[in-house]
Amino acid sequence: MFSIPLGSLVPEYIKKFEPYVPSKPDQELMKMYGCERLYRLNNNENPLGPPPASQEIIRQLWPPKAGIYPSGDIYYMRYRLAEKFNMHPDQFLFGNGANEVIAFVIKAFCQEGDNIITADKTFAVYEWVATFSGFEARLVPLRDFGFDDAGMLDQIDERTKILFVCNPNNPTGTYWNEDTLRNFLDVIGGRQIVVVDEAYCEFVEKEDYPDGMKLVEEYPNLVVFRTFSKMYGLAGLRIGYLAGNLEVVDIIRRTCVVYSVNTVAQDTALAAIDDDDHVRRTRDLVRTEKAYLNAELDLLGLETQSGEGCYIMIKLPMSDTLAYRKLMSEGVMIRSMTGFRFPNWIRVSIGKHEAMEAFADALRKILAR
Amino acid sequence: MKNYMERTSLDARINPIFTALVTSFAEQSAKAFGLDHAGALKLTLACEEIFTYLCGIDKGDKPVTIEAKNGLYFVQVKILFDVAHFDPRAFNLTAKVSLDDESGLEDMGLLIASRSVDRFSINHDAREGTGVVLIKERTYPEITWAESTAVKPLKGFTITAPDPEALKLFAHQTVSTYSDNPYPPDFRFPGKLVDMVASGEYKALIATDNYGAIGGGVIWRWRIARKKIVECAGPYIFGQPPESGIAEKLMDALIGAIAKTEAICLINEYASPELPKQYFEPLGLVDYYGPDGTFVPWCLYYRLLKEDVGSQVWAHPELEDFLKIQYKSLSFARKIVLTSYGGEARPPHSVFASQFVRTQRVVTLRPVWDGIDVSVNLSRHVQILKNEDIQTIFLEIDLGHAWQANLVPALRENGFTPRLILPYAGRADIVVFQYREGM
Repeated sequence: MFSIPLGSLVPEYIKKFEPYVPSKPDQELMKMYGCERLYRLNNNENPLGPPPASQEIIRQLWPPKAGIYPSGDIYYMRYRLAEKFNMHPDQFLFGNGANEVIAFVIKAFCQEGDNIITADKTFAVYEWVATFSGFEARLVPLRDFGFDDAGMLDQIDERTKILFVCNPNNPTGTYWNEDTLRNFLDVIGGRQIVVVDEAYCEFVEKEDYPDGMKLVEEYPNLVVFRTFSKMYGLAGLRIGYLAGNLEVVDIIRRTCVVYSVNTVAQDTALAAIDDDDHVRRTRDLVRTEKAYLNAELDLLGLETQSGEGCYIMIKLPMSDTLAYRKLMSEGVMIRSMTGFRFPNWIRVSIGKHEAMEAFADALRKILAR
Repeated sequence: MKNYMERTSLDARINPIFTALVTSFAEQSAKAFGLDHAGALKLTLACEEIFTYLCGIDKGDKPVTIEAKNGLYFVQVKILFDVAHFDPRAFNLTAKVSLDDESGLEDMGLLIASRSVDRFSINHDAREGTGVVLIKERTYPEITWAESTAVKPLKGFTITAPDPEALKLFAHQTVSTYSDNPYPPDFRFPGKLVDMVASGEYKALIATDNYGAIGGGVIWRWRIARKKIVECAGPYIFGQPPESGIAEKLMDALIGAIAKTEAICLINEYASPELPKQYFEPLGLVDYYGPDGTFVPWCLYYRLLKEDVGSQVWAHPELEDFLKIQYKSLSFARKIVLTSYGGEARPPHSVFASQFVRTQRVVTLRPVWDGIDVSVNLSRHVQILKNEDIQTIFLEIDLGHAWQANLVPALRENGFTPRLILPYAGRADIVVFQYREGM
């Protein structure tokens, strides 16, 4: 048998990179932790699931369709989005979840020695993809739980290619209003690509929250990310996209993996995109349950960070990874925040009332021990 | 700054005709890398003992590589030899001990070598190969006085990595403020601490105001050869009220610095009274023995840095109850799979790797190879270590290897009792046993 010379084959930046370990399937975790039911409140999934029309497509799936390649460039969906946002179909690019389009953008613009800029406590995948691709990720500390626009601008140098802004931010729920975003884009003046990740935009009801799609025409260096994993409940099918200036998207398309979005994902997303009632019902649920949970957390005297989005951050008087294990034993799965550089904080996704009650009860129990 | 991490290497054969070359290489490398004359000679002596020992047990003229490395505050010599013809038995610390003739102890090259250096280990690993590691540290002036410098409560502070002068001041303040509390012995040698940080072994953060006054600090490092574990000390706080939040901010910064690394677990073996307990869980107690035989119970604190995804461990029935209690207390999800010998054939000779830390009179044994003689072999190790006046003896088994789990009866027979679990520290969790006389 050959011995593989991994020491010389593997780049240094890969050796240093720590792979992400996803959680085991629910059934395995329930066996391990000895619980009979498990409320998943760790991934900000929509408790209502996909809209009804999407659910019907899944139920009616014609099995032979699984043997046929999907549309390689997500044809119908792009045309539908173009109509919806009054843009050209070629201004959209899809990926196997928004995670994949992050990689497309970084690959398209960065080369050896380049850097990207984002926040230190935000969605981790911008930093990960840059790092395991061999590029520097410059991390600017949050200011009052929000992205620090001035701090990010200060970090720009001649090798900066992309700035990532998560709006609203996961996990803190803070957001830049339209004035802040416009000012940021004005100062940058088109010299770098600015990515605004709007994964949770459909949850935001604030008047001053900017719609990135409307700014693309005005700012050609702006790239907007959106996903069907959150509001549209299609996380298990993996479909997300980016939108931007025609020329910019044409460049990004060169790094894009075609056929990575499956047929069911395309069909269900197409059925979901116009379901405003689903959006309304989800917002109502999130608003109601967030208020309930915040009240419960107030009673427990816990510090919280509750902004936009379908999640709340809670500071605990114990290690968050210990809280994760104890809550798992009670049948509730949350996200520990050490990995987001928020030690002793947890993030809980907003779920149905039964799940929120179960979480509040479990939290009371573990804090009382 | 010195060009640390320089390396030199020598390829030779295991044959006495190379002895002078090997010793000359070791001595000249040690001197070139900054050891003083006495230190270089001690390292050379250790190297010579090992090489002579190898020549004595192996007449095959096999290849050997000697590597010297400048670690800035230490010089390391690693002696690597042909793993293809590895005879595991020969690399027990006890290889030449006769229980009937204790005078034989004096002839042991491995032990003599271990006495001449500050750290010494014998390892055999399928990937790392077989080798002996000798580490001799440079000599640094020790703090002879520790005048307490009063620090007023800071009006504001930032957490920052200290420059060398601030680091030395931090060491002085720690020694003067914490005279009755544990801190790593390295703090007593501020210059060494500076070199340890410069070499990348330690990381440090301090809380300072605009005028450079230090309100506190913390240090940490990756546990050698165990990249999954980071060990920290402190936080050390100087004259700052609890409401300053300095201890918490230092912990936040430390954890933030390692949160996205390969580290799975953070351990604090030198917790100060100001340790914010909400950041840690007590892992358990071990005992450290002094030269007079008295022992001090020592609490280890830890926190997991990742979400526990659960795992499976092997366990001998004699360890099952201990594991169940520990896992329940620590809230870890573990599937305990029992294992024991069923009469299957076993190799004749077991091997234990030994890691000495002479400055702290501590030895950690790790099983490398299973063998029928494991209980006798362990008994010999204990005897030798006691003769070396080393009372603090740990033994770690990795529950990811069924054969290691099966060593438990032999450990019990020889006075080792399980003390605590290091989650995820090996292929699976590691159980730390400690030797106790009369147990």
